[in-house]
Amino acid sequence: MNDDATLHDAKLQEVARRLGAHAAERLDVERTAQAVVARLRTEPRAQVRVLGWIRPEWLRIAAAVVLLVGAGVVALNVRMPPHTTPVPGATVGGELGELSRDELRELLEAVGQSGEGSEQQAASAQDVGLEDLSAPQLRALLESLEG
Amino acid sequence: MPPAEPVAAVPTDAALIAAWHGGDEPAAAELVRRHARALARFLAGAGALEADVDDLVQETFIRAFRGLARFRGQCRFRTWLMTIGGNVLKDAHRRSRRARVVPLGDDLQATDGDPHERAVAGEAERRLAAGLERLPRMQREVFLLRAQQGLEYEEIAAALGTTPGAARVHYHHAVKRLKEHMK
Repeated sequence: MNDDATLHDAKLQEVARRLGAHAAERLDVERTAQAVVARLRTEPRAQVRVLGWIRPEWLRIAAAVVLLVGAGVVALNVRMPPHTTPVPGATVGGELGELSRDELRELLEAVGQSGEGSEQQAASAQDVGLEDLSAPQLRALLESLEG
Repeated sequence: MPPAEPVAAVPTDAALIAAWHGGDEPAAAELVRRHARALARFLAGAGALEADVDDLVQETFIRAFRGLARFRGQCRFRTWLMTIGGNVLKDAHRRSRRARVVPLGDDLQATDGDPHERAVAGEAERRLAAGLERLPRMQREVFLLRAQQGLEYEEIAAALGTTPGAARVHYHHAVKRLKEHMK
C-alpha cells in the first residue's frame, strides 16, 4: 500500500480534476494565442527602450547622491572640531607640584582660554587673585578644572 | 494497395521553443494553443476568478516566453508554465488587494447530470476551492499539480525547486487539511 492509497481520497482527486474545467472550456484559445503573439511582437521593444533609458539614469542619480553625501560627511569631519578638546595641563596632573608659581599662572591662563566651560573658573580665579593662592590651592583648582 | 500517407510529425515543445528562439511566431502561438487550457484550469483551481483567467493566461505566456532562457528542461514546459502562472496569480492578488471571493457562478458547478447531482458536485468544488485558498502556496500548488494535473512527484519537485520527498509531504499535508475542510 503506498502513501497515496493511505492518504489519498479518490473523491478529492475527482473534485480537483473538475476544478477550473469550466474556466478552461470558456477560454478562447485561438484568441489568446494571437494576443500573446501580438504582445510579444510589440511589448519587448517598449520594455527594452524603457529599461534602457531609466536604468542608467537612475544609476547616475544614485551615484551622484552617494558622492554628495560622502563629500558632505568628509567636509563636516574636516571642519567640525572634536567635541573633547584636550585641556592644557591635563596630562601633567601628577607633576603640578613641580611647577613654579609663574608656571602655574601661565597654565591657568591657558586653561581660561581653552573653552567656555572654564571661563567661570577663570573669572573666579581673577577675582581672588592668583598671587594670593598657595601651591596646594592652585593644584586643587587645576584638578577641579581637569574634572 | 496505395502507400500510406506519411503522418505529419507533431513538433515537440522543445522544437517549438527552439523555433520561437529563432523568431518563429507561429511556434509561440502553437505552444499557447497546446497548453493554454491546462494552464487556465490550474489558475482557476489556484484561486483565479474566471473573469481574470484569460488575462492571467496571457500574462503567464508572456513572462514565460521572455524568460525562456531560464528554462533548462528541468521539467516539462507545461509544468514550468504553471509555476510561472502561480507567480503571476500571486502578483495579481497582491495588486488587486481585494479579498478573494470564491465565485459562486456556474464555473464551479458541473453542467451535466440531474440538478441534485449538479448541486452536490458544485458544493464539493466550492468547498475544495475554499480549502485550497487556506493552504500555503506550496501545498496548494503541489496539490493541484498532483491531483488536478496528474504529475509525478519528481516532475513537481523539479518545477518547484524542491525534492520529491518534500513534494510528497506537502501533498499529504494538503490532502489532510482539505479533507478536514471538506468534512
